[in-house]
Amino acid sequence: MIGRLVHLAAALLFAAVFAMPAAVALAEDSSQPDAYTPVEEFSKQLDAFKKSIPELNKKIEDSAASVDRWTDVNKARKEIEELRSIVGAALGAVSDNGPVSTLGTQALNHARGKLRALEQDTRFRTEEKEFLLEQWRKLREETERATEELGAARREFAELLRTLQSNEDFIDELMQVRQAQKALEVIQRLTKDIRDASDQLKKLIGAIKPPGV
Amino acid sequence: MRSLAAAGVALALAGCQPSTDVGYVEIKTVPVTTNVSQPTIYLDTIKVEPIRKGSAVLTQRVGTTKLATDGAGGQLTLCEIVVKKNRITTVTVTVLERPPRCQCRNTASGSRTCVS
Repeated sequence: MIGRLVHLAAALLFAAVFAMPAAVALAEDSSQPDAYTPVEEFSKQLDAFKKSIPELNKKIEDSAASVDRWTDVNKARKEIEELRSIVGAALGAVSDNGPVSTLGTQALNHARGKLRALEQDTRFRTEEKEFLLEQWRKLREETERATEELGAARREFAELLRTLQSNEDFIDELMQVRQAQKALEVIQRLTKDIRDASDQLKKLIGAIKPPGV
Repeated sequence: MRSLAAAGVALALAGCQPSTDVGYVEIKTVPVTTNVSQPTIYLDTIKVEPIRKGSAVLTQRVGTTKLATDGAGGQLTLCEIVVKKNRITTVTVTVLERPPRCQCRNTASGSRTCVS
């Protein structure tokens, strides 16, 4: 079960790490003032997010390994809580109202707006205009691809979080079973004690003989 | 300009580690709709951006939140969603019905409340 988590995490990290650089590179190559806009901010955010991924991956692997080792449900639950916190933070970054996704939407809107504006622009010669349009089309496509990949990462993180919380719920149920077993043991011990006391009492009563019998 | 953007990036990254307790709400729409046919959805009075490809995951403060849509006399509550720290609560909205209807992945017993 935990192995599956790690596999899932690795898959999404792979997607997150290798899908982003294209948009980042495009934005970094551009030296025009107009490029320094939501598009560049988005690429910076993606870059920062991408850099945080190896650390996240290591934390997930370490925690998953320790969960595998432990049979103590309390420790396992604590580890899963910590994993949920890590995955939750990552999901927060790429959630639809999170910082990276919001910038992605802004960047995409900006690129689309620039394309529309350039198509109407009469300041440039045809070849210049075509060159600029081509650059913005590339940028728009790369940004679209990056936001698509963010969407995939979002789905993976959400699924990972769901798996973790169902595992935690399962552990909670196990703990309840264990507690119920302990309660049952107490009741059984109490019943036995009462039976023993009753036997003792019966013996005592049996031993009492009225005078003269 | 660049320092301003860098500050923006730093602020946004700080946002990656939420200071208040947050959880996540996953809203799925069935059937998967286009922007045109999608009803307006509100999460605690905040309008949710049109849901693309039938699914959105939103960061939300811990607590009980209302999922609503536009009704005749204002916002119409569809269901309530319990958000827990670092947990995801999933709700599916059937948008073909009028008003749209919530289907909880996990429901609190005997109520229109979705839990994680």
